[in-house]
Amino acid sequence: MTVIETEPPEAAAAADLSGEAYRVAMRRWLRANLPASFCSDGGAFLPPTLPQSIAWEAAMYRAGLAGITWPQAYGGHGRTLREHLIANQEIGTLAMPESVNSIGKELAGPIILAVGTEEQKRRFLPAILEMRDVWCQGFSEPEAGSDLASLRTRATRNGDTWRINGQKIWTSGAYRAQRCLVLARTGPLEDRHRGLAMFAVRLDAKGVRVRPIRSIDGRERFCEVFFDDVEVLQSDSLGAPDEGWTAAIRVLEIERATNRMYRAWRFENELRHLISACNSDPVLAQLVADRHYAVKVGEIIVDIEVLKAHVETAVDALVNGDRIGARGSLAKLHWSEAHQRFAALALELLAQASLPLLPAVQVARRRFEAIYLQARAETIYAGTTEIQLGIIADRILQLSRGK
Amino acid sequence: MTLTGDGLQPSEFAVTAARAVADCAALSLREQARHLANDGLLGVIAAQDVGGLDLPLAFAVPVVAAAGSGLLGFPLMEALLLGRTLQESMARAAEAVVSGEMLATIAWQGSVGAEREGESVVLNGWVARAACASEADCFLVRIGTGAAALVSMDSEGIVVEEAAGLDLTVPEHAVRLQGVTIPAGSVLPESTWGHLCSDANVLRAAAILGSAEACLAMAQEHASTRRQFGRALSYNQAIRHALARQKLGLEGIRHAITRSVGGEAGALQRDAAFLAAGVYGSAISEGALQIHGGMGFTWDVPVHRHLRRVRALQAQGDVSAALAALGRRYVGAIAPASDAAVSG
Repeated sequence: MTVIETEPPEAAAAADLSGEAYRVAMRRWLRANLPASFCSDGGAFLPPTLPQSIAWEAAMYRAGLAGITWPQAYGGHGRTLREHLIANQEIGTLAMPESVNSIGKELAGPIILAVGTEEQKRRFLPAILEMRDVWCQGFSEPEAGSDLASLRTRATRNGDTWRINGQKIWTSGAYRAQRCLVLARTGPLEDRHRGLAMFAVRLDAKGVRVRPIRSIDGRERFCEVFFDDVEVLQSDSLGAPDEGWTAAIRVLEIERATNRMYRAWRFENELRHLISACNSDPVLAQLVADRHYAVKVGEIIVDIEVLKAHVETAVDALVNGDRIGARGSLAKLHWSEAHQRFAALALELLAQASLPLLPAVQVARRRFEAIYLQARAETIYAGTTEIQLGIIADRILQLSRGK
Repeated sequence: MTLTGDGLQPSEFAVTAARAVADCAALSLREQARHLANDGLLGVIAAQDVGGLDLPLAFAVPVVAAAGSGLLGFPLMEALLLGRTLQESMARAAEAVVSGEMLATIAWQGSVGAEREGESVVLNGWVARAACASEADCFLVRIGTGAAALVSMDSEGIVVEEAAGLDLTVPEHAVRLQGVTIPAGSVLPESTWGHLCSDANVLRAAAILGSAEACLAMAQEHASTRRQFGRALSYNQAIRHALARQKLGLEGIRHAITRSVGGEAGALQRDAAFLAAGVYGSAISEGALQIHGGMGFTWDVPVHRHLRRVRALQAQGDVSAALAALGRRYVGAIAPASDAAVSG
């Protein structure tokens, strides 16, 4: 295990840097500290264990690579969104593992910053960044997937205590999380969007049961979570009881446009890996040089450039103080479909490799088979393609639904 | 619109350009040239010495987009590019283009052979996709792979074919050059064509953006007002999702263009803007036609004019060859994988 336990000198120095100097500092730190075994584009790849991931992400935070825009008072680095973009570009360039706490850092944290009390911000936010609390998201239910407003999990208040009863599903990472961001109903089902509240529920609380669900890639990362009369203190209720849905929508808008901002640059890393693997195999090298596949590679490059353009435009809009509104749906729709096109191309190419498979082709096959399967989820989670198209039609084009 | 002074924004040109394009609707080609020149629109990127505004390419984007949206029947992109391309070695010609006195165009497809004879050069060959060539005073042709020459249309040995191709708005012509003699001073250096095409790709993307925007607006209007089965078309999810996909493509083109004229943009970003426009532009105009149903297939509904224009612009920039070239450059620049990680 090679993860850094002490603060490296670069991190302290980076605090005074901005712009390109900041980029160089982040790049140096990542390259010096990212263990080779964590990189899925190398022969030494061995997926990190949960404790390894937690230690690595805590080290990234100490180096200035998490909580980048969060206020310093709550453990953040107090930097600009442009610097967040720079850091993400550097993170994306490397084939490093996905965060095990992206829900904490990119969903729960921003919601707490928006609607949490001062006490909640001081209690929850540093714990997320230091990886003491890993979060999961309890929104979807068996009867409320895309139609989130019909959720049935109920929260009943009695003085300073709430009791939560119900069931959540598709809760990624619940088995490893300490806290779940639960959206629950406080009023009647007919109220739809009104009467929803959010809670930071401890997953070791009495009455919580987590059951993993095996996904198409054979992993057991997403789960069902059952809440059986779970007691939650008022101090773990986020925002006013009827503010839950409004807060969720507001944060989801921004989150959809800014989360995992490194995607375009990771996508680029994947394309580079695919082509380098192909270039190492005489049959594949000839194939990718032929016009048919050269055009397909060209199309993927355009997809990546358009994705970067979506991301950079969103950052510009937010920096200029514009509301991002529903525009995040455009970027989400584009990347999820573009990534599936790329993954299908990668499989198609690598299937034509010469035998016996060269080590570099084996490494690429292992990576891109996993990416292909995982990419099938990308047009489903965080709002399916059909939901995103609906959002664009309703809120961007404002198409009439009337008779 | 302020034409001088600091702090001028490209978007400020959009309104002026849209008005000028609308004004041009009933004018002849030469009248359009003078009208557009009077509004300062032909010299947006040309040097001040030749009567231009000397602004970056980003300022030409809303002008060309407005021309696309308004179906301007004038070779505006060509005039804008020629004003700048000719400004150093053929300043008089550049000035005449920028002032609207001279009607100039560019033959985007094909190249001619050139032989030096004393102080002259003799050109032979076929070129095509020269917008409005039958009425132009001169046109630019590619020589070999990268050089170019400005050729007067009344030179002996030039035959302009009848307009051919889909585009009705800015009709394209093939031109035959048979022993056409031009002064050696009309030949531009080897790097000319590459620079010209790189800028043209951004402006083509802008023209496609304008057309695609107009198509989506028409489709949206039709879907909101046309009633079937007792409801507006836009009530149906199939229609809503089709329009949402068109919007996704449109914003992809718009953002890619913005990125291609940003401070750090290079050849890749310019190619990507054109290719995004090429890929999404036809899907948007074809989709808009489909949403109009049978009416979309009629001559009177202008969606087909945009579709024709978009297809002509794609062909001018040769989307398929450009994608293959982009892919090959990328593949050729990447070293074979070793056992070590390729990250970075």
